Amino acid sequence: MDIGHYIAGPYASKLMADMGAEVIKIEPPWGEAGRTMSPFANDDPNIENSLPHFYLNSNKLGITLNLKSSEGKKIFCELVAETDIVVENYSPDTLSNLGLHYDQLKLINPEIILVSISNFGQTGPYRNYKATEIIEYAMGGLMGIFGAYDKEPIKHALHQSQIKAGTNAANAALMAMYWKQANGQGQHIDISIQECIAYGLRDTTSNYTYTGGVRRRQPNHSGDLTRIRQVEDGFILPNPNVNTSRGLNWETVANFIGSTELLSEKFSTPTARLENAEELGEILDRSYGHQKKFETFYNAHELRFIYGIILTPEEILQNPQYLHRDFFVDVVHPTAGTIKFPGTPFKMSETPAQYLKVSPTLGEHTKDIICGRLNRTEDELSQMKATEII
Amino acid sequence: MNTKGPLHGLRVLEMGQLIAIPSAMKMLSDMGAQVIRIESSHRLESYRNASLYENNTTGQFWNRGANFYEQNRNKLGLTLDLSQPEGLDILKELIAVSDIFAENFTPRVMHSFGITYEDLKKIKPDIIMVSSTGYGFDGPWANFGATGPATESASGMAIMTGYKNDMPIMPEIPYIDYTAAEHTVFAILSALIYKRRTGEGQFIDVSQTETATATVPEAILDYVVNGRIEPRHGNEDPVMAPHGCYPCKGTDKWITIAIQSDCEWSNLSTELKLSNEITCNPNFSDMLKRWEHREQLNQIISAHTSTRDNKELMHALQSVGVAAGIVMESPDLLFDAHLKERAFYEIVNHHPSTEMPPLPYASRPWKFSETPAVAPVAAPIMGQHNSFILKELLGKSDDDMKKLEKKAVIGYSPSQGSPIRAPDPNEQLRQGRMQRYESDFRSKISTFYGISDEPL
Repeated sequence: MDIGHYIAGPYASKLMADMGAEVIKIEPPWGEAGRTMSPFANDDPNIENSLPHFYLNSNKLGITLNLKSSEGKKIFCELVAETDIVVENYSPDTLSNLGLHYDQLKLINPEIILVSISNFGQTGPYRNYKATEIIEYAMGGLMGIFGAYDKEPIKHALHQSQIKAGTNAANAALMAMYWKQANGQGQHIDISIQECIAYGLRDTTSNYTYTGGVRRRQPNHSGDLTRIRQVEDGFILPNPNVNTSRGLNWETVANFIGSTELLSEKFSTPTARLENAEELGEILDRSYGHQKKFETFYNAHELRFIYGIILTPEEILQNPQYLHRDFFVDVVHPTAGTIKFPGTPFKMSETPAQYLKVSPTLGEHTKDIICGRLNRTEDELSQMKATEII
Repeated sequence: MNTKGPLHGLRVLEMGQLIAIPSAMKMLSDMGAQVIRIESSHRLESYRNASLYENNTTGQFWNRGANFYEQNRNKLGLTLDLSQPEGLDILKELIAVSDIFAENFTPRVMHSFGITYEDLKKIKPDIIMVSSTGYGFDGPWANFGATGPATESASGMAIMTGYKNDMPIMPEIPYIDYTAAEHTVFAILSALIYKRRTGEGQFIDVSQTETATATVPEAILDYVVNGRIEPRHGNEDPVMAPHGCYPCKGTDKWITIAIQSDCEWSNLSTELKLSNEITCNPNFSDMLKRWEHREQLNQIISAHTSTRDNKELMHALQSVGVAAGIVMESPDLLFDAHLKERAFYEIVNHHPSTEMPPLPYASRPWKFSETPAVAPVAAPIMGQHNSFILKELLGKSDDDMKKLEKKAVIGYSPSQGSPIRAPDPNEQLRQGRMQRYESDFRSKISTFYGISDEPL
């Protein structure tokens, strides 16, 4: 059951829905807040048009239910009795205030797995602190190692921390599910979005615990061989593997980059390149400046230089690798019609993802679930509608 | 409470390198799976020879690499030379007794060793094999090697991210490796649940670039449906203003603030003591006006934050319901009261031969009420579990072990590869690779965590 809103909770349950779990999404009668997220289909901000909401709720069943009403709570509890996992991402006291604390859900279903995602976790002095995406990037430590040396720290575009929390929540939920299937025991899982960022900083905190060094943003020059460079038609990410075990010599690299200036002794060893980084950066800018990104990218891989290529959404839709793997799937949006949409980013040989359903329209399955499964009559349903329980 | 972890009883064979697979398998080993990590003592993994404790390149440097310890906690370590038939035979014997085989080499390598899923299925019909590659196991880019920044480049994330009217930019870590690792764990657990019901294994083919694209649906769908590609716009939000990262008192100290309502704006104005001239300015009278005049607003906010201590200001703003957070540097994270109370950093003891004291490491982003993570054990020193794995698990004799060692199928130290010494601290500071060095870091850590600053 997905009782979450916006991104983190919905993404966690979307991952499960795309793998075949039956996910019932519960929204308040006026619609979940994620329906207000831009961009919208045709820039028309109605509740069925949010494109991120559409993506984040694929393959789910959708009902509306006012959890603040006693009848709404009663229906919710009847559903909890038949549910394996509940995912929520409200501030820590929200469920308790509704009388739906984990201990109360456990009384209804002793095996229930409740996954709670919150800004800073369910415990600790910051548990009630407010956060948005940029706050999580800062407090998780990623922003401190992200940005130009002479500008303010920066974050990724869009909503990485929320998506990351959703993925980790899904992982924790399935680990708990694996345990429950063998031992019949449920549990409460506490996911902190801040910690989702802070666990994945490679050696950033270890640089401190190992040497006392405090990491920062980009160095104050662009003399590293693997920095993004502007080319004639966009951007490329060079990576001539020069320091790896393949032991490529500098001359080969310099020839590939296409500059005789690089053959100077000033750049012939790793140490020399570090010492003369500023000058190296200028030469690299000049050398790459007149190249074409796809040509350089493909030529590099002929030599097994692991270059990257910066692609635009338009180019991503046409990427031959994505086309070969059928990464984008066709789905039908209620107003935009048939559109391409990122599919599951891994292929499973025996249990492939299937996009049988798209995101439910508001209340699409309310009647099916409440009358069909919970045996309410149509009269009772009308009554609930009149009193804004559904 | 169970202390063996929810995945106790599961055996994983890992042939990983760097982050994408090692980090994913660490999630499993932290939660109780037995993860056997295979590495070559002839082809030294680059995470073993850089970022060394105290930058000490002498002696057994390969057991002092920060990144190796970060990614390989709670695993067993076996050295194996797969280019020799004996090595490949042992790998196959291990596959026969494992639930999962996970690797992140290019498909070329798997084909050349003859250890693709088709090959493994003959040895263990219900094996779950996971391959994590830059662009996917098949297709025209399948054999293109990739780094985290490369997958970020091709995914759509890089083109969206950066300052206004400036180049795309990426963080100073291979961020997508973690995104890939997280989706890999999800796929594996899905496969395990399916296997429990049907007894069937399968092949999981993770494309690291696809995992990143899956996390930016806004950008993809805006193009697909509306034909729009948004320019880069730094830390700006499409709705909120003020919204950004503002300088504070001191060197490189910053605070982020995100204002979501008129009430929050009013509380921010009070806390920053903004003049009536500003608060009554019609340019700032509602959310939309503030957004329209966001650049002017950012300059005003910066002028007022730059005289404040970032932590003091964060707590003050949060106490009046304003979303604010400091840009945490490593010591801010390690010595934070909140993360301490949640025991987010856990103390790991290192093998005595490393001459490293116990140190705090980032744990994981979840807490389980009934089946918590196992007590942390440091990543294996090279060859640490050769004997346990080969003798206890595969029943090899002492004689077999001697032969394997003599032929260098197994080993305890690298046959080649030298340590990379980081540039001298002064040079790192000159180039801006580090913000600063703190000479008292050892005593600060031991005091805060109540641990020894000496090797065990």
